[in-house]
Amino acid sequence: MTSVAQSSVQAEMIEVAGTPVALRRRGAGAPLLFLHGAGFTGLWTAFLEELSSAAEVWAPDHIGFGATPAQDWMTGVDDLVLHYEDLRREQGWERIDLVGYSLGGWIAAAYATVSPERVGRLVLITPVGLRVPGKPIADVMMMTPQRLYATLFNDPTNIPQVAPDPSDLGVVVHIYEEMTTVARLLWNPRHDPKLPRRLRRITSPALIVGAEDDRLVPNEMCDLYASLIGGARVERVPGTGHALIIEQPERTARLVLDFLGEGR
Amino acid sequence: MSNRLQFWHFGLMPYPHIPPTSEIESTWVTLSNRHYDPEIGHRLYRRYLDESVLAEKLGYDGTCVNEHHQNAYGTMPDPNVMASQIVARTEQIYVGIIGNALPLHQNPLRVAEAVAMLDVISGGRIISGFVRGTGMEYHSLRYNPAESRDRFWEAHDLILEAWTKDGPFAFEGRFYDLPYVNPWPKPYQRPHPPIWLPGMGSLETIDEAAKRRYPFMMVFSPLWFTKMAYDMYRHAAEEKYGYTPSPTQLAFCVATYVAETDEKAHAEAREHIMWLFQRGLWVPPYQWFPPGYVSGRSFRGMLEAKVKHNIKDHWELTYDDLVNDHYVIVGSPQTVAEKLARFTDELGAGVHVGASMQVGDMPHWKVVKNMTLFAEEVMPLFREKGAGPIWSRGELPPGAAELVRAMPEPATVG
Repeated sequence: MTSVAQSSVQAEMIEVAGTPVALRRRGAGAPLLFLHGAGFTGLWTAFLEELSSAAEVWAPDHIGFGATPAQDWMTGVDDLVLHYEDLRREQGWERIDLVGYSLGGWIAAAYATVSPERVGRLVLITPVGLRVPGKPIADVMMMTPQRLYATLFNDPTNIPQVAPDPSDLGVVVHIYEEMTTVARLLWNPRHDPKLPRRLRRITSPALIVGAEDDRLVPNEMCDLYASLIGGARVERVPGTGHALIIEQPERTARLVLDFLGEGR
Repeated sequence: MSNRLQFWHFGLMPYPHIPPTSEIESTWVTLSNRHYDPEIGHRLYRRYLDESVLAEKLGYDGTCVNEHHQNAYGTMPDPNVMASQIVARTEQIYVGIIGNALPLHQNPLRVAEAVAMLDVISGGRIISGFVRGTGMEYHSLRYNPAESRDRFWEAHDLILEAWTKDGPFAFEGRFYDLPYVNPWPKPYQRPHPPIWLPGMGSLETIDEAAKRRYPFMMVFSPLWFTKMAYDMYRHAAEEKYGYTPSPTQLAFCVATYVAETDEKAHAEAREHIMWLFQRGLWVPPYQWFPPGYVSGRSFRGMLEAKVKHNIKDHWELTYDDLVNDHYVIVGSPQTVAEKLARFTDELGAGVHVGASMQVGDMPHWKVVKNMTLFAEEVMPLFREKGAGPIWSRGELPPGAAELVRAMPEPATVG
């Protein structure tokens, strides 16, 4: 979000198949594409900084998030999947490591079902995208900002790093516009009923990273993903909630890097 | 009084027996329906419909119903069912459906059919209002608020074509793709029932209404804000669309209560008006404005206006705020007439909706007294001497004359 304190890596504007995209990148090594969630956008977080110690991290703002303008044609997660496939092809990457957080986990999983041979290693961090029967995701559209943050975080230590300034009208409007993009992607249903069957197409090694106790997305979502992706395993980060990449950036990044390192 | 005004009765049909606001998140969406007792509901519906029927006997120009879902503020999830009841029990009065919430229908052709049925049964007494529905309804029914505006106008176009073009024809839209549009029946009125657009004052809605010459109705707003919206309508009509709107294109929905004296009127109405605003409209902002329900630009404009003009949420308004800012009109016949004259003289309005509205938890006897006194002591001041309601003198309802003028030659289908 534009509100947040200066990030140490500034965004540059690039084009992906003619679509303007705000991108932050740092590091050296194999390309790692980080797909952000519905919040904590437009930021170079401590988590990304950690990842960049061992990979060339590409962290674009999705269409309609952060500094990447919205597009009328983007109405579903499938549009973002093809958007990132365009990015991969234009960069000439044979394969990429994909790390998706929350909504970004859904996008990463869907990407890996469409282009399984293009994914080196797949990491889904507290992903959404599936329906856990009887356990819906908490309705973020029906929450005050205070309640949203209280639900996202189990450890409030790092909230000030990412909390938007509610007195800044520009920030409040920007969040409303980002949530409008979220509504366009997943207002109803808030999962992809076709995804469970398609996940069997994934061929890359996959790691699912869960929180110790996620009060936004049911903890069973991670297990459900793991049961549907061949060979996937689940790791959980102690002491965290849904916002684990903000709560425990080093530990979460270490899990990711160790997993990626197994392939190198 | 020099100016003319039409009087359209309107009751929201609330369910008043709910817990205090301190105990509930909202009067909408999540207020548990365990608080709804169907036996009480039965008596309320019968009573509310009696009041709508009484509007004809007392000489109101019309009586109105509307659509809201999963709430205690107004228990008419299907306005066409209520309109059907009123049509069956009246002979001549106009029945305003203000309106059907178009994006909340899977297939708007169903709205075209239902309204056409009512229009044919009633012999052409239907006003067809179209609305988007409140933000709350997008939580309740889970239609996508970010698509609401586009769906609304596509549904509008589909319904108008269905009413005016000979079928079967194909409608090829983004949301609705129908190869055989061919409703039986077609509406009784030609080219079709008048269309009203109730709104909260958004620039986009006002401009679309002015463009199509549809009567625009402001709902539960302060007088100064209604004036601003009307000025925008007139400006758009005159500068962009090249005509001067008639007063019957400018309607206002203002709850009104009249009694023998000012003092008595306030004493009788106050608690019920406070129910409407403090309890009926007890809604948190995240329910009012789901993402995409308004554009980022409109959202910014609203937030800026709220700060600049110190606009309160409905449930924050005090009784004095409501009276002083003309959200409501309460008083003796003389006082009420003077306040209504501000709407006609200063604002140029021609249609009062909510004339003698049944408000909040107001008991039947007060509603009947209010309606009767209003009809006998106030309405005549805004009509030609001795004149009755528009339906008794063969006058077209608001929006009808403009429609005939604006319509192209009937389409010929080969």
